[in-house]
Amino acid sequence: MIAQYVWNGFVSGMILALPAIALTLVYGILKFPNFAFGAMMTAGAYIALVLNVNFGLSLLWSAALATIIFAMIAVVIDQTVFRQLRDRDSITLLVCSMGVSFVLENIARFIFGNAARSFDIAIARPKYLLGLKINNEQIITAIVALSAMAAIYFILRHTALGRAMRAIADNPSLAAVRGVRRENIICWTWVIAGGLTATAGVLAGMDRAIDPMLGWNYIVSTFAAAILGGLGNPVGAVVGALAVGIVEETSTLFIPPNYRQAISFLVIALLLLMRPQGLLGVATIKK
Amino acid sequence: MSAGDFILQTRDVAAGYGGGDIISNISVDVEDGKIFTVIGPNGSGKSTFIKVLAGLLRPRVGGITIGDEQIAKLSAPERVAKGVAYVPQEYNVFANLTINENLRLSTEFLKRNRQATDEQRSRVLEMFPEVGSRLTLKAGYLSGGQRQMLAFACAMMAAPVVLLLDEPSAGLAPKFVSEIFDRIKAVNQTGLTVVMIEQNVKEALRIADNVMVLVNGSPRLFVPAAEVGSHDLHKLFLG
Repeated sequence: MIAQYVWNGFVSGMILALPAIALTLVYGILKFPNFAFGAMMTAGAYIALVLNVNFGLSLLWSAALATIIFAMIAVVIDQTVFRQLRDRDSITLLVCSMGVSFVLENIARFIFGNAARSFDIAIARPKYLLGLKINNEQIITAIVALSAMAAIYFILRHTALGRAMRAIADNPSLAAVRGVRRENIICWTWVIAGGLTATAGVLAGMDRAIDPMLGWNYIVSTFAAAILGGLGNPVGAVVGALAVGIVEETSTLFIPPNYRQAISFLVIALLLLMRPQGLLGVATIKK
Repeated sequence: MSAGDFILQTRDVAAGYGGGDIISNISVDVEDGKIFTVIGPNGSGKSTFIKVLAGLLRPRVGGITIGDEQIAKLSAPERVAKGVAYVPQEYNVFANLTINENLRLSTEFLKRNRQATDEQRSRVLEMFPEVGSRLTLKAGYLSGGQRQMLAFACAMMAAPVVLLLDEPSAGLAPKFVSEIFDRIKAVNQTGLTVVMIEQNVKEALRIADNVMVLVNGSPRLFVPAAEVGSHDLHKLFLG
């Protein structure tokens, strides 16, 4: 029975990992916690919903197109909103991201209303493996999330873009005098963050009903995951997401499910007290 | 001497942070292939001046030219593309990237004509053998002197026209200081123009060709390095 909870937690962690990576990448490059990622997930889910339900595309194609479309929308949001405040302090940008979040959420509410909707997908019988009940959606979630993570890892470790992203996160002034144009890299960072959150929104929409508050269900857990792994560290974000997913899920063995997000709050509180740099983060001293 | 002999020139440059100017009325002519050194007391504006040359700080007024090209309004990455290489005083390598990644990043965002050829890379690694022997090591694990060497190597990868050095000996163990200046001289002898600001006046003068003394943000003296001894630097520094 515990194994079933661990598996369910693993899959939840997979969904969390994508916005956690997006959060940590944006934080690393732009030095602010983007509060809007929840609404970005919601927007991604709605775009896929329209493509899937209204245009009759398969969910796979809908998800792929929603990822591309929202990646472009994320760049537009950056250019129209965040770029105007580029060198402001992190609190200003955090508050700005809250504004973006409310705007995206209310656009969804204005167009689609508050009613819960769902993708047009066939219901399939769960599979049983080693005593575990495994849903089709869970398999799809694990495959998509793992593929996305592998792609991000490849980009960060083995491409010029990834080197530039890590360089800017490390030392933006030095990156500038090495010829790296920060605005171009920021643009690509939003493409990746937008794509990841939209994909996560589709995966979340397969797991639960789609409504304008969809992304809100993931905000606390995603922040907990990113902080647990060390903000700015994408590998840490994945480790943190899996840990938070599994701990939240298994906690329902002992506490009512409605309270499981309290576990994320507890994780954040304990970490900030005991290891503020996160599990895989590096402590820094401000001179 | 004709204008064509100068690779880098500034005219009436003024710059600063916030309200006031830190440096003002700086006009310099840097000869091609020479070492131009800026000395001065703490807080005289040396670092501000070199940041203006590197493009990290835009001048409020004044002009900067490389060859015949005006670069005052260009950003730091655009100046790199024009052949300006800058080695900051500290945090001069990407600690989270390997030595190889640091070297690759130095040119891969430049236009094709400035990207490091295999030949250029070999030449740089030959010039800095301690860098080439551990390419997969993260730069954060290097000592201060080794980081400085890596920073020089990165700057050299794009075959720059002018190398800007911000206090290359700062924070180094005394036994490395002479070695660093010897390396700078060796790099200069390949024909590369060097503009250096430095607190270690004795070592800086050992390799410099021309010197500017900067005090309170304004030039006080321009003189060939060999003639600095005939001036009372203490008096100049104290105004």
